[in-house]
Amino acid sequence: MDWLEQELAEALARKEPGSGFDARVRARIHRRPRWLAVAATVVAMVGVSEAWRQHQGQVAKQQVMTAMRIAGGKLNRVQMHLKGTEQ
Amino acid sequence: MIGLTAVGQALDFGELMREHRAMVFSVAWHFLHDRDLADEIAQDVFLSLHKNLAAIETSAHAGFWLRKVAVQRSIDAARKRSRRPQVALVDVPEPSVRPAPGDPMLGGMLRRLIATLPETPRMAMILRYQEDLDPTEIAETMGIPLGTVKSHIQRSLALLREKLERRGVGER
Repeated sequence: MDWLEQELAEALARKEPGSGFDARVRARIHRRPRWLAVAATVVAMVGVSEAWRQHQGQVAKQQVMTAMRIAGGKLNRVQMHLKGTEQ
Repeated sequence: MIGLTAVGQALDFGELMREHRAMVFSVAWHFLHDRDLADEIAQDVFLSLHKNLAAIETSAHAGFWLRKVAVQRSIDAARKRSRRPQVALVDVPEPSVRPAPGDPMLGGMLRRLIATLPETPRMAMILRYQEDLDPTEIAETMGIPLGTVKSHIQRSLALLREKLERRGVGER
């Protein structure tokens, strides 16, 4: 090795990274991947949306049943009224 | 954090980090001349090691593997940054006092000059003088022909010598 190669070996000697390097690596190892958080959010949103849709379906069903009950009651009254008129 | 290696031995990940972090960080730092980016790349390299720990046989194997990945990630980062090193050769400031061999100022000047070399010769020089690898090992690590490594090192040394002489630095 001549003087320049000697100087290069000294200039390019290994240096330690900043303090806390190991902790930064460990923190990244234990960090949950971003895609997992995104997937969890999507699943939760789909679940909530499906529950809301089912709830809306139940409400609509109740309304139809109520309407049919009212219509049925009215029809009965009309029928009874017609029977009374015939007699 | 302990993982089982390819041969079923227990390798302590923390111990591997302590042993090899200076090598991984320095490859990236000397190549990119950006401390924060080098730190980030070194972290990425150790994350990869953690994922691939089962394929690692010994600490020496880990060192070889880490060096190879650090070289590749550093080159990728430089390409992603898509610009040449921040310091152009013409911008390397002339020192007010001419550094002589053995002067710490010369080390700084050499690092700046190395940073201006094109990617492949720059990495070859880092592996030669930081890691003390011989040209065959450099060729294997970088995945390039042995002749290319030898000519890059010779040409880079000649270029550095010329630049230093122009700055009045030389053997006393």
